[in-house]
Amino acid sequence: MGLHTIVVSIAGSAASLVTAKYAIALAKLLSVKLIALYVVDKKVLQDLLKSRIFVDAEARVYERDLEQQGAGILERIGKMAQEKGVAFEGMLMKGTVSDEVLNKVQELRADLLVMGELKEMTSRAEIFYDEGERILRRCPCPVVMVKNPAMVEALYKETVR
Amino acid sequence: MKFTDYLTRESCIMDLRASSKDGAIRELADLLTDQGRIKDEEDFIKHVREREMLGSTGIGNHVAIPHCPTQSVHGVVVAFGRSKQGIDFQSYDGSEVNHIFLMGTNPADLNIYLKLLATLSRLLNDRIFRQEFANASTADDLIAVFKRHEK
Repeated sequence: MGLHTIVVSIAGSAASLVTAKYAIALAKLLSVKLIALYVVDKKVLQDLLKSRIFVDAEARVYERDLEQQGAGILERIGKMAQEKGVAFEGMLMKGTVSDEVLNKVQELRADLLVMGELKEMTSRAEIFYDEGERILRRCPCPVVMVKNPAMVEALYKETVR
Repeated sequence: MKFTDYLTRESCIMDLRASSKDGAIRELADLLTDQGRIKDEEDFIKHVREREMLGSTGIGNHVAIPHCPTQSVHGVVVAFGRSKQGIDFQSYDGSEVNHIFLMGTNPADLNIYLKLLATLSRLLNDRIFRQEFANASTADDLIAVFKRHEK
């Protein structure tokens, strides 16, 4: 039995690097492979097209930019994992964030999902629309939610190759 | 992340002087520049105009959301302007625009920007929000309407 794979869900924010650092430290501690997922949020682009805020050509540019941003983040996390001697794979996907992450977790038979802290919810509607909330509730494997960036930084520094 | 983290009473002009699309964009950009939110106003306006050339951001119901990503702004910027007489924005429904949200983002903050646009779109789809928002007579009232509906 034992643990084999940790999956970390990465968004485009600076906080994502904190999440990644915790996942790397955890993967090192457990001697397992780390897979990072970045999803280009096509749902939000489609919603903005539908509401006429975006036009087709513009949405395509945003999609390309998000893809490049995601590839850049995954590359950076890959280097960080390598520095700590953690086996790593980055996966760039497109679609609805929660669906893509949950499908991949299932497909990979991940033992653990690491994700960032949920944002503050101010309404029921927001809970309904929040992708992180959906991932947390529907994930088929245990979920670790990363908090306390200062603690994570300290843990990451302590993690040696 | 809430829309009112970015739209503040200081970034609202409740009675725009401008009577044209270009004039309104410039008036709102001037406000953001005065607040130190824009690094290069001419470049920002150039990008907003280029986006308008792809198709009007007049989304109907008397609302327009001119916007663009550009290195010329700090983070995500939002300004609101109301035109009492109405401005021709070549909206798809033919309506004159009374409510303008000028938005921009540094490419580094694209994810936040897209989520804010999605939030604004969701709010504007709500008929009750639109009514209350149109009835708000001061910047404080306007922000209060946003806060109430974001809850």
